[in-house]
Amino acid sequence: MTQYKIIFTGPVGAGKTTAIHSISDDPPVKTDATASDMTKNRKSSTTVAMDYGLMNLDDGEKIHLYGTPGQERFDFMWDILTVGGIGLILLLDNTRSDPFQDMKFFLDSFGDFISDTSVAIGVTQMDISSTPTIADYHIQLKEMELNPAVFSVDARVEDDVSLLVQALLFSLNPGLEDE
Amino acid sequence: MKTKNNKPLNVAIYGMDERSHKMMEMFLKGPCKGIAVVVDELGAELDIIDADSVNAKEILDNRKVKTPDRPIILLSLEEVIIDGTIYVKKPVQTDELVEALKKVKLMLGGDKLKKVKDLPKQLSSPESKPEPEPKKEKRPFVVENKQTETKKIDSKKSKKRAKHRTTVNLTEKGFSAYIGHVDGVDFSDQEQVLLASFSPKNFFLGYVQSAIRVARDKGRILQLNSSWKPLIIFPHSQEIWLDADDKQLRAFAGLAIANKSGQGMSLSSVEQNTSEFINEKIESFYDADAFIWRLAVWTSKGRYPEAINIDRPVYLKHWPNFTRLVVTPHALQITALLINGPRTLINIADSLKIKPQYVFVFISAAYAVGIVGQARRKADELIVPPEVKKPASKGLLSKILSRLRS
Repeated sequence: MTQYKIIFTGPVGAGKTTAIHSISDDPPVKTDATASDMTKNRKSSTTVAMDYGLMNLDDGEKIHLYGTPGQERFDFMWDILTVGGIGLILLLDNTRSDPFQDMKFFLDSFGDFISDTSVAIGVTQMDISSTPTIADYHIQLKEMELNPAVFSVDARVEDDVSLLVQALLFSLNPGLEDE
Repeated sequence: MKTKNNKPLNVAIYGMDERSHKMMEMFLKGPCKGIAVVVDELGAELDIIDADSVNAKEILDNRKVKTPDRPIILLSLEEVIIDGTIYVKKPVQTDELVEALKKVKLMLGGDKLKKVKDLPKQLSSPESKPEPEPKKEKRPFVVENKQTETKKIDSKKSKKRAKHRTTVNLTEKGFSAYIGHVDGVDFSDQEQVLLASFSPKNFFLGYVQSAIRVARDKGRILQLNSSWKPLIIFPHSQEIWLDADDKQLRAFAGLAIANKSGQGMSLSSVEQNTSEFINEKIESFYDADAFIWRLAVWTSKGRYPEAINIDRPVYLKHWPNFTRLVVTPHALQITALLINGPRTLINIADSLKIKPQYVFVFISAAYAVGIVGQARRKADELIVPPEVKKPASKGLLSKILSRLRS
């Protein structure tokens, strides 16, 4: 049976685990470990395998929510995780020193998957650091010849994460039944 | 020359700019399923001419001389009847062009065409007056010198909670209650709907937009004074300060400001005592774009800005930041559709099978924040935009959508 999934990716501390938790029906499985390296300065624990959540649909079907580990040394898992994926949610932390570099890195890394499906970008921590602005992200994306949804997101807020995923769905098919 | 039925026709294209040429190439390859392929003049079996181009007559005369037996398809907004040519109406629809190409295939397999007779005097329609360039808002692009460590945190920023709140997500049911009523327009009458435009200049919206432009140009914090409450503009942080609740703002937004009242509007520097008051009411700060968006929704009430030509396609520069804006009904759908390519407002409503006022209010808000423009490229009007395919049954994506909205 095909396992349908939405992939959440982004750098360490961007809010992937929290975002999955916000929209997951079942308590998400966290696979944390104590951060040993530079990551420790940002988070005391970090995802070393993957985060997992589940959305239950009306007819019993399930959508799996997978969060990729944010550290680059686990990038070999990303290709495996994207198999059967509907689309990609990329979360970026606006307090990091170079969020544009993060964005380019993840969009390049998942380039093939994005070409086949779609991506929506959520920028977290904008209440703490308001620059770069969302408009600045669009300028960067234009140079990359991409035009996905880019939203300011609080990963703890279900409505924010839900809107971001909805934008992903409509990017895949604008003809979806809206109401 | 006989052409095998399954072999694509070799077509040469004339009278189109580079973008339109490329679009036609892709159109033949994609929606027309490769029934024809674009080649150069020498290798072509058929000529397609944009009969609305300025030098269309010259092109046609030239083709008659060089290749008198080669079939010609003329694309035009208005019907052009010339012996030996096939007319296809613009904007081009897949079925009609495919039909014309099939006719040509038969012709090439059968008798030679009659020679083309002289053209009528008026072949091309006069170029429409180019629209004035919309004033581009310069958005400061600041990339600070980054350190490897996290940036300093400004605690005051996080207290401006209104800026960072998830905002209203309207359904069709809640829409009328939220936007209120506009006199003089019966939205159940299709004719009235198409004429339902408004001018932001006649409302508070227009004055606020002008004030923001002045503040940005001067790089100074300014206060917009009116018969109502003062509004403070902070151009460097892209913020607005206004001590008013939604109900008050909505009421004032919908009031048409007569010329005389408009003369009472003024811009000034912020006084000291006002400055102290602002700092006490920090929750009255709003992101400028989110404020303008909301104001535009309440001013529009389902109408469209009169600066938008309803008969010409519009384009969207990028997705709005919906998590911080009022999400009007079907806004995400409309956005996803427009991101794929320009469409007229009515085409959007028809394609998505939604009421035009939902499109109009979205376009009003998006236009107010400067992310909508009127398409001016010929390529955007050349071909009918593709139909939006709604899934016959509730597919996986629809089920996920329902789950997210439950």
